[in-house]
Amino acid sequence: MIPLRFAARSSQPEPFVMRLNAEVRAYELDRTGLRTEFDGDLVEVAGQRLTYASPRGTLVIEGTTAEEVDGDVVLALPGGRAAQRLIRATSPHNTFLITERCDQLCLMCSQPPKHHHADLLPFFEAAALLAPAGMTIGISGGEPLLYKAALLPMMQRVLTHRPDLGFHVLSNAQHIDEDDLDPLVGMRDRVLWGIPLYAADAATHDRIVGKSGAFLQLMETLPIFARAGASIELRTVIMRENAALLARLASFVIMHLPFINRWALMQLESIGFGRQNWDRLFFDHSTEFTPIADALNIAKARNVEAVLFNFPRCTVPQPYRDRAPSTISDWKRRYLGECSGCQERDICGGFFEWYPEDRGFQRLARI
Amino acid sequence: MNIWPLRFRDLGRGSLLFADDAGGFFKGTEDFLDRYALNALTDEDQAFLHEGGHTFQRELDLSYLGFAYRWCARQAPRRQLGYVILVPTLRCNLTCSYCQVSRAPEGARGFDWTEDTLDAVLAFIGGLAAPEIKIEFQGGEPLLRLDLLERVRDFCRQRFGKAEFVVCTNLQAVSAEAWDYLAAPDTFISTSLDGDAVTHQRQRTRSTELTNAFFGNLDRAIEQFGSSKVSALPTIDIERPPAVDEIISSFVDRGLRSIYLRPINHQGFARRGRDPDVGLDRWNAWHAAFIEHLIERNFRTGTILEEYYFSQCLKRVLRAGADEHVDLRNPNFFASDYLVIDHDGVLYPTDEARMQSRIGRIDLSVGHVHHGIDTEKVATLNAASCNNFDPDCIHCPYQPFCGSDLVDDISRYGRIDLPKQATWFCRRHTSLFDKVFELLYRRDEATRFSLSRWADLESWPEHLVREHQ
Ligand code: SF4
Ligand code: SF4
Repeated sequence: MIPLRFAARSSQPEPFVMRLNAEVRAYELDRTGLRTEFDGDLVEVAGQRLTYASPRGTLVIEGTTAEEVDGDVVLALPGGRAAQRLIRATSPHNTFLITERCDQLCLMCSQPPKHHHADLLPFFEAAALLAPAGMTIGISGGEPLLYKAALLPMMQRVLTHRPDLGFHVLSNAQHIDEDDLDPLVGMRDRVLWGIPLYAADAATHDRIVGKSGAFLQLMETLPIFARAGASIELRTVIMRENAALLARLASFVIMHLPFINRWALMQLESIGFGRQNWDRLFFDHSTEFTPIADALNIAKARNVEAVLFNFPRCTVPQPYRDRAPSTISDWKRRYLGECSGCQERDICGGFFEWYPEDRGFQRLARI
Repeated sequence: MNIWPLRFRDLGRGSLLFADDAGGFFKGTEDFLDRYALNALTDEDQAFLHEGGHTFQRELDLSYLGFAYRWCARQAPRRQLGYVILVPTLRCNLTCSYCQVSRAPEGARGFDWTEDTLDAVLAFIGGLAAPEIKIEFQGGEPLLRLDLLERVRDFCRQRFGKAEFVVCTNLQAVSAEAWDYLAAPDTFISTSLDGDAVTHQRQRTRSTELTNAFFGNLDRAIEQFGSSKVSALPTIDIERPPAVDEIISSFVDRGLRSIYLRPINHQGFARRGRDPDVGLDRWNAWHAAFIEHLIERNFRTGTILEEYYFSQCLKRVLRAGADEHVDLRNPNFFASDYLVIDHDGVLYPTDEARMQSRIGRIDLSVGHVHHGIDTEKVATLNAASCNNFDPDCIHCPYQPFCGSDLVDDISRYGRIDLPKQATWFCRRHTSLFDKVFELLYRRDEATRFSLSRWADLESWPEHLVREHQ
């Protein structure tokens, strides 16, 4: 697994953000005059211990190489004993975890909510402004919009200063109202809203997200996103709970949500509650693909783009394979013994690091 | 609860097709129609209508926006001119039986672009805002002026990010240079293949020698470039149609899987003395039988053949955005995304408009390549290019899927204000959509196999079309 955190020694007890620059990058910043107060240059290498110095402090990072972290933006954590990688410069999968709080309690939540909340928003803002050109940054939680009063203006500021960046926000969309129309309009081409919907009926959806009234609330907030012309990625994790209802959901989507940018049908992730409830929830599409095929075909017939997220390619019948792009983030992706020698490995997203091989897909075979 | 207005049409055996303005549809009963008309809908009726997107509770709620979006997606016209049909010469080396007006003899003078016209055409194309361009060379026989084709292609290749060229040729005489020209990956061939050799000879080539030359060239083109670079269109004389099996094998044997059946459209003096609608019922019946034939054959062989226009109608019923066919769109705005430039530099909105103007029936030209598009005239034409407000179409459940073709009305009847049901266009499309809906509500495997492939689906999903008891 790619590490997202390093052991570190900071010259400051308070947290601070630093962009890590090896020599070439440091020269380049001087030459172009783009150096910021957050830029730390490599001043010493001793084996796997790298020392970076910036106007805000000095940071010693352990267990990596200067090439590996060049251009990364890290946060020296309070206490100064560790550094969190906020932006990995070479990865397309960077996500800010805005909060661990949430008002829903989904059966398969990969990141079960916690009450404690640490506000890192100012650090995220600084990090976003230091991101490499053209990056799309993930915003996730918990439920990020619980802090929308600070979050939406922060996103607007970043998008204004960095016209090359975009955000991909994962939100349950429970906390948007009419007053948010303007900011949503302002960001509509640059922010993709990943919004979950698990069934076309309130009872099933509410049971899955562990909140009564959630479905009805979505029916109130989705129109606000639609009126703003916001880009929407509708997300449906497929479980035993809702697999049989997928075709109905598809019919709902094509009629009532035809304006979405895409509909992501997602396989379960075995971590958090997803791990605890795996046996009860996991729907093995490798042996029963019909409900998914029906949903894909209904969507395609009506011009709604539907895609499969977290579906290993060999578990998908051949005609549908092109709808299963590689989606598992690099830092939590792995391949099985089965995958060695597979012709599609390069375009396959493989498995989550925590995929339970003994209780997973029954049909797996290299292509 | 508010219900968007429903139109309906008898499907026979006590069932009706209902459809709304956004193209949502379902099959229902006469009892349901009574309840709908008398404002006596049951809870089940209302739930059914709500699920299908035919209702809303209040303005701007989710159902309302879903409907509005689907409605808009169907109306959204293409606005960027990126498809230009060029007629570099009107001269042709064949004399097809029904093509008297859009050709000049091979040796005639004064029917080609002048140097001056070519310059103006290139300047016109060069001034387009579209990032990509598609050029279709028509004629006459465009290969007679390969030099002009070369110059247009060279120009477009360097001017646009992506450029594609279609040469509509009779493949009668193809020089070594022409073969080289056609070999380029961005260049495609469109030709006519009137079913079997006998029919092709009767309608087009007239002599065995020419017929053999044509088939030799067609086979060479397919062999050399692959069937994906060649399309062949049969023009059918409904009074003497070739046998369906013959048409199919002419295509299948050459690896061609899409057949676009077009009825002969008599022009000029060839039309005089004919009822403009002669053969319409025969055509509709023949075409429907052809579709059945394809369904049976596809299922039996496991391979897919399509009738292009029928697939187009099917896709238009299912979804918005199936606007590739320029005769089947609504609104069908003129000179908005494609345009014809004739051999003398005159601009026309469509090829058919060019013919009508040529025979002197009506001047449908919309400008000249030297002076650009006559926007006032285009606006006049556009005013009649929507079916949304046509007094007949507004009652027709097929309106969201159908198109409008005012040039066809002018060509056949000299006017555009006939009751729609009295026009060829309407009667042909009524019959086509009747067939589409008949098939959509069939449940046999053979039909579903063909339908799914024609609609570009992997298989036919349950619940795609809805039925209310
Ligand atoms: S064998 Fe592995 S790499 Fe190949 S398709 Fe299956 S999961 Fe992907
Ligand atoms: S032209 Fe005829 S079939 Fe088409 S919408 Fe109008 S009335 Fe209906």
